[in-house]
Amino acid sequence: MSAGTDEHRGRGGDEPATPPPTFPNGDEAATGRSEQSARWERLDARVIWVDLVRVLLSLVPMVVTPVVFGGVVDGSVLWPVAVVGAVGVVGAVADVLRWLKTRYRITGERVEVRSGLLVRSHRSVRRDRIRSVDTTARLRHRLAGLRVVAVRAGDRTGGSASLRLDAVSAATAARLQDELPTGAGTATGTTAEPTGAEAGGAAKPEPAGAGTATGTTSGAGGAEAGLRAKPEPTGVGTTTRTVPGAGGDGVLATFRWAWVPYNAFTVWAFLTAAGLGWGAYWFGSTVGVDLAGVVAGLADWGALGTGWTVVVAVLAAGVVGVIGVGTAFVVEHWGFRLVRADGPRGTVLRTSHGLFRTRRVDRDDARLRGVELREPLPWRWSTATETSVVSTGLTANSWTTGASTILPKAPMADARRVAGAVLRDDRPLATPLRAHPPAALRRRLGWAVLVSGLLTGGLWWFAPGSWWLAGVGVVPVALGLAVLAYRSLGHALVGQHLVTSHGLNRTTVVLRRGAVIGVAFRQSVLQRRLGLVTLRTTTAAGAGVYPAPDLLVADGVALADATVPGLLTPYRGEMPVSSSTVGSAA
Amino acid sequence: MAEVLVAPRHRVERRAMGWWALRAAAVTVVVGGVLGVGYLLITPWRGVLGPVLLVALGVGLVHLVLAPPWRYAVHRWEVTGEAVYVRSGWFVREWRIAPISRVQTVDTVRGPVQQALGLATVTVTTASAAGPITLVGLDHRTADTVARELAEITQATPGDAT
Repeated sequence: MSAGTDEHRGRGGDEPATPPPTFPNGDEAATGRSEQSARWERLDARVIWVDLVRVLLSLVPMVVTPVVFGGVVDGSVLWPVAVVGAVGVVGAVADVLRWLKTRYRITGERVEVRSGLLVRSHRSVRRDRIRSVDTTARLRHRLAGLRVVAVRAGDRTGGSASLRLDAVSAATAARLQDELPTGAGTATGTTAEPTGAEAGGAAKPEPAGAGTATGTTSGAGGAEAGLRAKPEPTGVGTTTRTVPGAGGDGVLATFRWAWVPYNAFTVWAFLTAAGLGWGAYWFGSTVGVDLAGVVAGLADWGALGTGWTVVVAVLAAGVVGVIGVGTAFVVEHWGFRLVRADGPRGTVLRTSHGLFRTRRVDRDDARLRGVELREPLPWRWSTATETSVVSTGLTANSWTTGASTILPKAPMADARRVAGAVLRDDRPLATPLRAHPPAALRRRLGWAVLVSGLLTGGLWWFAPGSWWLAGVGVVPVALGLAVLAYRSLGHALVGQHLVTSHGLNRTTVVLRRGAVIGVAFRQSVLQRRLGLVTLRTTTAAGAGVYPAPDLLVADGVALADATVPGLLTPYRGEMPVSSSTVGSAA
Repeated sequence: MAEVLVAPRHRVERRAMGWWALRAAAVTVVVGGVLGVGYLLITPWRGVLGPVLLVALGVGLVHLVLAPPWRYAVHRWEVTGEAVYVRSGWFVREWRIAPISRVQTVDTVRGPVQQALGLATVTVTTASAAGPITLVGLDHRTADTVARELAEITQATPGDAT
């Protein structure tokens, strides 16, 4: 899988000219577009203007501050302003240099980027290996009509993109997003309305690089229209039983204000509050306001006592943090839309959202292998669920990039509806899962007792006084968590999907049976005594391994055999063998 | 487990026990050596490092004595026209089965110790992030044969094996 990207780093001086690209067929070369695309192109020149504006903006405080302070400027005020100015100017100049030294080229087979001033790099990605093309735009990009394009290929399943174009014009970005994953093809707009029979034709899978280049110029205005499109009613998403391969289903989900509380109440709220508080204090000190003094003057803290002061502080931080996180969520997910749109190589799952910084991610439906629903433990009572796709080329833990997440935390009902629509089958998540045997509960309870016992012993040995009592207090909590972990366990085989769920942050994975490329069983000595086994299905998509912990041995083997029919059949023994370690030797 | 899933057909070479023992010994020597030097040179830490060193040596010794024969009893492999089937581990056992049609690459690895013992490891990768299936402790001639046959079968299978 790693053959998609070739990288040559550290070459000083100019590189030899790359030989002209060979095209998969003559038609494409004849259209003229390819000849034009085969040239090395610069990033959009508006990047320079954006950088110039950044330089000016970062110098503004230097001019304004003396005015505010009436010409009296001492070091404590000047330093932060100077640092802000210097960082801004250096960043902008570096960006201009990057623009000067970056060229990209799109041929019939490859996307290539050459960049770097001191360390020249030449990176190329084969177009048939491209798995997703994202566009993002910060506010400055949007004001200038620019988009940052990130191309992901199968070579790196981690967070970083295989290559980035920072930045090109919105029209170019839309064109790239429509064409790149396919080699060529008809460019459809970003709005989700399939145009009747044409949509069905466009949804027909085409071999990579062999499509026709008709209609490529029509994509120019499409992305802008899509990004500015008004939200459409969500009713379309409820039709979940559409025929597979029938083209785009339209809008599967749009932003709902009811989601905001689910995403605002997180542990990060306190961190956000701390960051906001520090930022406010720092800003206040630059303009000569002592914020700490203001807060100290709000109440008679001394009369309130330490305990209440802490309570008030925590509450205040919580409120500020939740408002901050909630605002950030709304800003990031403004105008959120999840649509199944027609791409040139079949349908794509497309999310687009953002108020200032817009983001659009296309995920190829042909690479979709399943869906993952995650319910964080602290918010289990509210049924808050985060939905992501299990797709080849997108790792499950890419929450840093968010490319696999198709729905932010939302009520379970919303998540299930969307997941059903994405799978085009709502049965896997509607079917109740089979519980795992009581021995699995015993194992978890045993671990809970062991861990809290070790904690208590450690505290008794190392910590002074009666700290070890805290260890005893942990026991009921640990037992409760063990029960919760047991209750998360479940599995089912529904039609063409294997459904498993496990974990304290209950994770339910619906995986297409055809996507399972191997099975593994794990059994520790303790599991063996309890008659349990952990089934691990391996797949090329997402996390790569999806476990079903602590099944009865016979059930585990039967489930694996049913998931991949015939794989285990030659090895399933009906007659009892005296011991697993003796018998048929080589 | 044995009642519902038969073990793979072939045992590994008896010499593999020597390889596992050498590996375990090497780890123990390195860890024990570092701790021992620390114990000798950093006198104020002796109160902590002494027990840690003893525990490390004890664990190393038990591992050295226990793990190789246990692994030998557990490790088994089988390659057919349909699947690669491996049982491995000791305290935690693992059975792994991958259909031949999903195999991406096959290669053999021989480290210096393995070369001295005439052993080789066959590594079979699939498209999963779960890591390759490894057939350890094979005779190097067997390993070459297995790898060659696997490569031939894999090449005859169409598709990109994801």
